[in-house]
Amino acid sequence: MNLRFKRLISQFFFLFSVNLGFKLGNVFPGLKTGFCYPLFYCHACPAATSACPLRAIEIGVFKGNWNWKFILYPILIISFVGVISGRAICGWACPIGFLQRVTGKVPQKLKKKYPVIKKIGNLRVEPYFRYIKYVIFIGLVVVTPIYIGFMFTDVCPVGYLVGTIPISVLEPGGFTPNEFFYIALVVFILFLILIFTIERGWCRYFCPIGAMLAPFNKVSIYHVHVNKDECVNCNACSLACPMSIDVPNMNRDPECILCGKCIEACPKNLISYKRSLK
Amino acid sequence: MKKIAVIQITLILMISGAGIGMLLYTDVYEDVHDTIVSTLCLSCIKLDPISRLDFVFETANGKNHPNFVLENLTTGPLFIEYRTDVCAACDEMAPIVKDIFDVSFEKEDTLYELVNYNGSTVHFYHINLDHATEIQKNSFPIYDKDHRQGVPMFVVITVKYHRGPIEPCYTAAYGTVGQKTEEGRRELLTDMIDDALNLYTQNKEGYKYP
Repeated sequence: MNLRFKRLISQFFFLFSVNLGFKLGNVFPGLKTGFCYPLFYCHACPAATSACPLRAIEIGVFKGNWNWKFILYPILIISFVGVISGRAICGWACPIGFLQRVTGKVPQKLKKKYPVIKKIGNLRVEPYFRYIKYVIFIGLVVVTPIYIGFMFTDVCPVGYLVGTIPISVLEPGGFTPNEFFYIALVVFILFLILIFTIERGWCRYFCPIGAMLAPFNKVSIYHVHVNKDECVNCNACSLACPMSIDVPNMNRDPECILCGKCIEACPKNLISYKRSLK
Repeated sequence: MKKIAVIQITLILMISGAGIGMLLYTDVYEDVHDTIVSTLCLSCIKLDPISRLDFVFETANGKNHPNFVLENLTTGPLFIEYRTDVCAACDEMAPIVKDIFDVSFEKEDTLYELVNYNGSTVHFYHINLDHATEIQKNSFPIYDKDHRQGVPMFVVITVKYHRGPIEPCYTAAYGTVGQKTEEGRRELLTDMIDDALNLYTQNKEGYKYP
């Protein structure tokens, strides 16, 4: 079984697992737990099983109330997953990563058709765009909830996708837009444009969960290892990488989502997963 | 052993130790379950439920009315405001509720007061689900009429003729009660209370505390 297929099975499995909160009459009451997801998914989804870690942090810091339980709990869950596998959760489990895998073919085609899109990826400043996700995490998940009570999850495009839209469809006429609806709609449209124009655009530039997981790539047990001594610099791995990482020169890159595309692309089999806890 | 392995083992031990400790010695699991997962965050869904203000007899989860409700119904209808600590719509609605009943409270408070509303007695409850007692918390799903599982939820409980006996009945409104203006929100809440008072006046003689 190749890596691509294994990853597909894993993504389907996690997509199913994070949605076990659905109710099936008297047959299945729906599984609602008190855990936080270590990935990007919203508890507002009618079928969600767990809580969004960002919301927990926002509640923890809201207006300087400092509820340490709500701050530490999601951080510990994400840290645990991060130390084990770094950002592998983005490539193998996250439903929004899965969505971007599905939409990923579009940017690839657009790149060929419209050179301007290719240019965005080749901009010198492009690597700096990747810091936006850290700014969003610190700014909108921590700072604005403390000082002005504005929370990222109030306008989160994923909340819109898996919460607002399904609820509106399941119960038409039962709800009316609130004050965040139109801002969130604009953010959601921008999110759609992003994921259809830049491969893994959300993971690369904006995902606050990715920002939390990324530093753990530096110390994670599982990581991608490149045998640089024998590398012929054909660049097939970098071209295959959905995160546009310079794979031959990477060393535990914070952007690596361990998707394994580089492993499959390497003609000399010089790239592999490595477990470093030995 | 490599330096990185030492770091990894240390991190795993620290994180898993702290995580297990939190789960065993704090109520964080229950808190996250109750206040985030089970209670729908209306600002997370960017929607406000449209309130249907019909009075119903059947409780939302099929359980009996709590004792504090049944007991208080002998002297007047009840108005219960449910909220949580972090809730934008609750913050918007709180001043309106305070003004209608002329009460004052902090959002963290859980308050019960017998208030005079236009010359009538109303039992006023402000229940913050993050700080409420088990009985108060358990009353939330009982009165979640439209199964929104969201806060703020405003419940009015009164008594009404029901195929023979006079029984408790209730209605609930959610979020900013589907109204854009402060006047609209105030009007909807006062309509709810006025309807409840009318029903109470008509039926109170027949109500017996079980």
